[in-house]
Amino acid sequence: MKKLCLLVAACACILSAADDAILIRDVTVHPVTAPVIEHGAVLIENGKIADVGSTLQTPSGARVIDGHGLHVYPGLINAATNVGLSEISSLRDTVDLDEIGTFNPELRAEIAFNPSSEHIAVTRASGITTVVSLPGTGGGISFSRNQQPTVIAGQGALMHLEGWTWEDMAVKPSAVMDMDFPQIRMVPAEYAAFIPGGARTYQEEEKAYNENLRQVSRFFEDVRRYQKAKAAAGPDFRRDIKLEAMLPVIEGKQPLFIRAEKEKAIKDAVAFAEKEKVRIIIADPTEIGSTGPLLKSHNIPVVLGKTLELPLRDDDPYDSRYTLPNDFYKAGVKFCFGTFDVEFARNVPFEAAQAVAFGLPPEEALKALTINSAEILGAGDQIGSIEKGKIADLILTDGDPLQAKTNIRQMFIAGREVSLESRHTREYEKWSKRP
Amino acid sequence: MGGFTRLCERGGMKRRFGLILAVLLAAALRGEVPSAIAIQGAHVVAVHGPELAHGTVLIRNGLIEAVGENVPVPGDAWVINGAGLTVYPGFIDALGTWGIPAPAPPAPGRAAGAGGTPPATAQPEPRVRGPEDRPQTYAYERAADLVSPSDSRLEAARAAGFTTSATFPNRGIIEGLGALVDLAGERGRDMVVAQPIGEQIIFRVGGGGFGRSFPASLMGNIAYVRQLYLDEANYREARQIYAKNPAGNRRPEYDHALEGLSEAPRILLPAQESQQIDRILRFGRELKVPFVVYGAHEGYRSIDELKQANVPVLVSLKWPEKPKNADPADIPNERDLEMRERAPEVPGLLAKSGIAFGFYSDGIESAPDLKKALKKAVDAGLTRPDAIKALTWNTAEIYGAADRLGSIEKGKIANLTVTRGEAFDDKSTVEYVIIDGKLFEPSKELQKPAPPTGPQGKPAEGEVN
Amino acid sequence: MRRAFLILWAAAGSLFGQALLVRNTTVLTVTKGTITNGDVLVENGRIAAVGKNLSAPSGAQIVDGTGKFLMPGIIDCHSHTAIEGGVNEGTVSDSSMVNIRDVINPTDINIYRGLAGGLTVSNVLHGSANAIGGQTIVIKLRWGKTAEEMLFEGAKPGIKFALGENPKRQGYPSSFFSQGPAERRYPGTRMGVEQVIRDSFIEARNYQADWKEYRDRVARGEHPIPPRKDLRLEPLVEVLEGKRYVHAHCYRSDEILMLLRVADEMGFKIRTLQHVLEGYKVADEIARHGAGASTFSDWWSYKIEAYDATPYNAAIMTRKGVVVSLNSDSDELQRHLNLEAAKTMRYGGLSEDEALAMVTINPAKQLGIDDKVGSIEVGKSGDLVLFDRHPLDNYSKVLKTWIDGHEYFDRDKDLSERTEFARKKKELMDKEKAAAKEVTP
Repeated sequence: MKKLCLLVAACACILSAADDAILIRDVTVHPVTAPVIEHGAVLIENGKIADVGSTLQTPSGARVIDGHGLHVYPGLINAATNVGLSEISSLRDTVDLDEIGTFNPELRAEIAFNPSSEHIAVTRASGITTVVSLPGTGGGISFSRNQQPTVIAGQGALMHLEGWTWEDMAVKPSAVMDMDFPQIRMVPAEYAAFIPGGARTYQEEEKAYNENLRQVSRFFEDVRRYQKAKAAAGPDFRRDIKLEAMLPVIEGKQPLFIRAEKEKAIKDAVAFAEKEKVRIIIADPTEIGSTGPLLKSHNIPVVLGKTLELPLRDDDPYDSRYTLPNDFYKAGVKFCFGTFDVEFARNVPFEAAQAVAFGLPPEEALKALTINSAEILGAGDQIGSIEKGKIADLILTDGDPLQAKTNIRQMFIAGREVSLESRHTREYEKWSKRP
Repeated sequence: MGGFTRLCERGGMKRRFGLILAVLLAAALRGEVPSAIAIQGAHVVAVHGPELAHGTVLIRNGLIEAVGENVPVPGDAWVINGAGLTVYPGFIDALGTWGIPAPAPPAPGRAAGAGGTPPATAQPEPRVRGPEDRPQTYAYERAADLVSPSDSRLEAARAAGFTTSATFPNRGIIEGLGALVDLAGERGRDMVVAQPIGEQIIFRVGGGGFGRSFPASLMGNIAYVRQLYLDEANYREARQIYAKNPAGNRRPEYDHALEGLSEAPRILLPAQESQQIDRILRFGRELKVPFVVYGAHEGYRSIDELKQANVPVLVSLKWPEKPKNADPADIPNERDLEMRERAPEVPGLLAKSGIAFGFYSDGIESAPDLKKALKKAVDAGLTRPDAIKALTWNTAEIYGAADRLGSIEKGKIANLTVTRGEAFDDKSTVEYVIIDGKLFEPSKELQKPAPPTGPQGKPAEGEVN
Repeated sequence: MRRAFLILWAAAGSLFGQALLVRNTTVLTVTKGTITNGDVLVENGRIAAVGKNLSAPSGAQIVDGTGKFLMPGIIDCHSHTAIEGGVNEGTVSDSSMVNIRDVINPTDINIYRGLAGGLTVSNVLHGSANAIGGQTIVIKLRWGKTAEEMLFEGAKPGIKFALGENPKRQGYPSSFFSQGPAERRYPGTRMGVEQVIRDSFIEARNYQADWKEYRDRVARGEHPIPPRKDLRLEPLVEVLEGKRYVHAHCYRSDEILMLLRVADEMGFKIRTLQHVLEGYKVADEIARHGAGASTFSDWWSYKIEAYDATPYNAAIMTRKGVVVSLNSDSDELQRHLNLEAAKTMRYGGLSEDEALAMVTINPAKQLGIDDKVGSIEVGKSGDLVLFDRHPLDNYSKVLKTWIDGHEYFDRDKDLSERTEFARKKKELMDKEKAAAKEVTP
């Protein structure tokens, strides 16, 4: 009887060891933070990368995957999406973005992240293992004369694209504080007709902009007063979850993810960060102007929006958005890629590829989809490269994942193999069989 | 005055009384002021005819009686010393609404403007189903019926040297039949010189094609006008056939709009940018109606096409400017910059190419602004004689009224613009305008430029270099 | 006579510019395989020869294509580029009286930007606000020419239909939760969309009959009053007579079937189904009708009718025998349709030539212009694009674009002209600033 128990126990260990340990070998490994390893191998154990090298020992009971010349990359990261919070953009009932209110720092994207969203599997199928899911969509031109802008939409989270609940999926909850910095956005002439009462004049926009800046300053002042009062813990002190939520920001623990489109907004945001002594990330800039040296000297990183966009102005060079990532690179600014949407989150590798076509070195493009994103979002020790000790987020491909013709063959998130099937592949399978 | 006394002295009391009555009645019916006026020894720019350094213009009964170097001045003529004065034919605004008074503002207590609630009894207009509903079509309206000397803008127009305007009603797509209108008169109908002179068409485009009623897009406007002309041709043919053979045929429906359209001797079509000019020249040719192009600010790119098309042009005096509402951090398009720089060159280029053109005020109402706008064209290469010709002869000819307006010639209507100094010069002023032989002395106050107010003209902070 | 002919021939030659020889390049003909180290000669606007070691006539422009890739000019089967004054006339249920040809703006910078992405031909369409929309045309992106000069000579004109959500939105009722428009415009349902189409074509048939009756009566010596010429019904009669193509925006499989049935009933063909995101569900029916399908590479989920979309759509329909093209419906996407085409290699495993066909010969076939464009074959127009890498490589970019053998885009020239352009513009801005300062007291 004792021998049987031992045997059963041994089998159980082997089985669980088999679940945990995976050796991927005969693959070209792209660690990103180290040189490429031809004919290399990667060992996964307990959800982490246990080893990377040319030849690795196969632990007993490990599952072995023979890559036969395939490539292993870190799982790609999309540093700005609304995945999980919006299903069909034209149906409001399926959209949970841009809550009412000017300052909503206490709102957290991760708790409204729908683990059953079809977008999760669809995005994953292109090699993306992690996304930042943001609670807001940023400001835009205002279609009402009296529109109150949302300045702080809430906290964005770094989420794995696999898990039973949002708690399973959160790699770094509350990774960033989503902020749309006050900026002047004039309504283009062709939309003016849609606005009741006519579009605001520049003077009115400027007035609103100055008022918004003042509001932001006052809010931050309120936060600091709250911080002081909380520390003093006097008899009057009452907890306020909104101000409370801002404390990590002013303590430098949580970066402000500041959406700033044009040069002036970027400069304003940097000056603001200096004044308030907070850490910021510039998000979705549409031009660099003269801000390169400023961002570099302040060590402020950038999350870029889509590369495949039209130039801002008629006279701008036709490739001005295509060369923007390389402009930031040449200025020595650290950056990564995001798509700031849901439907095309899966295409972030192609956005990066277009930057390569117009000058960005391909290794930099890959970094901006992996290690740069991880580091900018405060998870550089956990994901973003194939290094010992990091979470095993990996993809096996038959080529460069930035190329459309490449196929993503297998994916691992936190060391577990993850299906690359989605609504789209299921439609394909089903309807291909229609007699 | 002397004549009247002599009348009273002659004859008996009864006869005297009768005469007094007759004269008083005559005065009431025809105005008291004698009509003969002579401007003597002035610089006379006749436009059609020799230019005179020291000439005399004699007018009587609202017409030009004589013009020349040695015109004998009759004893009954009021003489104006022409030293230092220049006499031009009266300036004509080639397209506008002068003479049609603005509609009365709504009574207080009733909400007005966008966002106000309409009166409870007003029914919303039924939604337009298509061209057959004749949307925004006022082809039957006549400027001649709408003009009145009570229009508050006439004084300023005269102060700018204008005696006449090609006035059109101003609503809808097919705006109505215009009239050549003198800018003074006792009653509206006294002002009308010639009508109808044409039909003005404006494209009403807005809301990205999603307006409430057809048409909302540019292609919708064009399709609508095209359909109207097809309907007009069909209407004419139908009426002719019906007149000959009513029996057995459905009678043609009466169509107010088409009646108006067929009366117009020409139509006015809008185009500012070069591709719009190209489009409108083709469209006008397709409609097979005599037409005139108005706007023409990017005409410097289309001179050859305009020349080939042999179509008259009306140039807007509202030169494109940097929008006052612009974000100073914004960089304008090169095309817009070029238009702002080069639009005033268009009149000079048209003149050099022999293309007939006139000027229109396009909403500018103050005398100094009109002068400034005209001077801009002169500074950009239009010769002064060509500028005068555009304001007078050309416009009269475009509207088929060159037989009675547009130059200082015997027999023509006595519309004259008299300046001290040469027209458009900074220091020159409009001394007199004569309209239908009546003398007006425009206020000098109305001709003074307004003092510059506020930060306009000062470069804004943060302007990109 | 001969002299006149020679003058005409020389004039035609000058219209199309000098001869062009692209040398020693990888020629992706699309229809006749790939030629490495190949040459293509264009004369008088047409491809005169495709092969190796071709000789150039004197005066020809010679382009060294070593290490580069030459493909046919890209064709976009669904575009709203260069339209002035509104893409839709959305105020009426049937807006077939309007014509895109009237509102082409040849000065739209997006034409140039398209050329910079290898685009040479666009099927410019009315929007999707109406069940029956306006008349449409095909243009060649001859940047710098007039609107009429951009018309693709010989291409049949079209008309736009739209099914599904877009044409019925203005018919929604107001409810507690949402506001429909103040005044509803028919239709408000898919059933109504069908009725608008059937109604309009029945009217068109009646109109045809009225005109026939009129002509018959005139022939008999009578003097009837002619019917009114109706610009709305004329293009529908042309559809019935096969003189005008129907391009129908559609999403769901049920509405696709509906339209094919209505067309069969009324006796006309649907030339292309546009977007057709659920086309994969009814690919057999589409193939049997003979309609082409012009779709997105991977758009989905922005509306509920796009929720069942799959990027494998193009591959599934292709395998079932439908002629499929990929389109842009966007000024941005039209700049890189080659990259959209590349996606069909991932989503469905299409070959390189099959992928390239999606944006060249297939849309050419759909538009009935495949005798003139869509592949590199002798006799076709010299519409060519030179890439620095294979066009299905995401790291590639366009170096030159030719239409009718005339160069309309050259990246080197574009780069070299930027400094001068900036200088000229600064001059204009400074002038304006100086003039503004004079006004200040």
